[in-house]
Amino acid sequence: MTTVSPPMNPGSTAVSGPITLTLPPVPTMVRVGRLTASSIASLSDMSIDDIDDVKIAVSEMITVLIQSGSRTTITLRFETTASEFAVEASTLTPANDLGRNDLALAIAVLDAVADEHHVASTDDRIMIRIVKRLAPIPAGASSSTRS
Amino acid sequence: MEEVGKNESIRVLLDEGTVIAEGDIDLAGGPLLDAAINRVENNDPLVIDLAAVEFIDSSGLRSLLAASRRAESRGTRVVLRRPSSGVVRLLTITGTTEQFDVEQASQA
Repeated sequence: MTTVSPPMNPGSTAVSGPITLTLPPVPTMVRVGRLTASSIASLSDMSIDDIDDVKIAVSEMITVLIQSGSRTTITLRFETTASEFAVEASTLTPANDLGRNDLALAIAVLDAVADEHHVASTDDRIMIRIVKRLAPIPAGASSSTRS
Repeated sequence: MEEVGKNESIRVLLDEGTVIAEGDIDLAGGPLLDAAINRVENNDPLVIDLAAVEFIDSSGLRSLLAASRRAESRGTRVVLRRPSSGVVRLLTITGTTEQFDVEQASQA
């Protein structure tokens, strides 16, 4: 299920509110989440290289949650501001289950492709958040120079 | 050329002992790549053509690293033939390039 709220301005390609995507925790959904992230990021005036980074980051996030979670729905929340593109992914899991998988490789990848990342777990939930900062558009430049 | 497996992410082929991956090597694609690698596990060297790989993440890289470790234990190496730019980037940012022999496209 995908929900968009609040509604975007008619005629504008800018995303004005968070977008939430829920996915079943199965491997084929990694691709669905990745391609959805790519589509949303492309509305944020990001470079192709930055969109590729977002695809990798979201793939890592969903993979970690599938492997660490308790086979319950994964929720992705995408939010764009003037300065950043943020993705928060979470799923239910028993306490401390995050430690049962070797996350070192995934974390190394997130280090490289995201400007910020944060992995947290509570008693019943794992959450991963990444931020990709948006480069300011040079004065007088068309936004298409970064598309 | 034999098609070993195919799903929404990846198509994996065998061609005269070379594993050929096309598409995305992720959590869904990795197991099919593993199955193809297992078919030619004893090749020396074990060659995997990655020219048509459009996307790879750390779960896909784990498949390649596991093959590399097994090859090392047999005294041989895994050759990554014509890795796409996405593969090269992931190898670089994870510092795992040295685990493989990387064979670029012919300059001819």
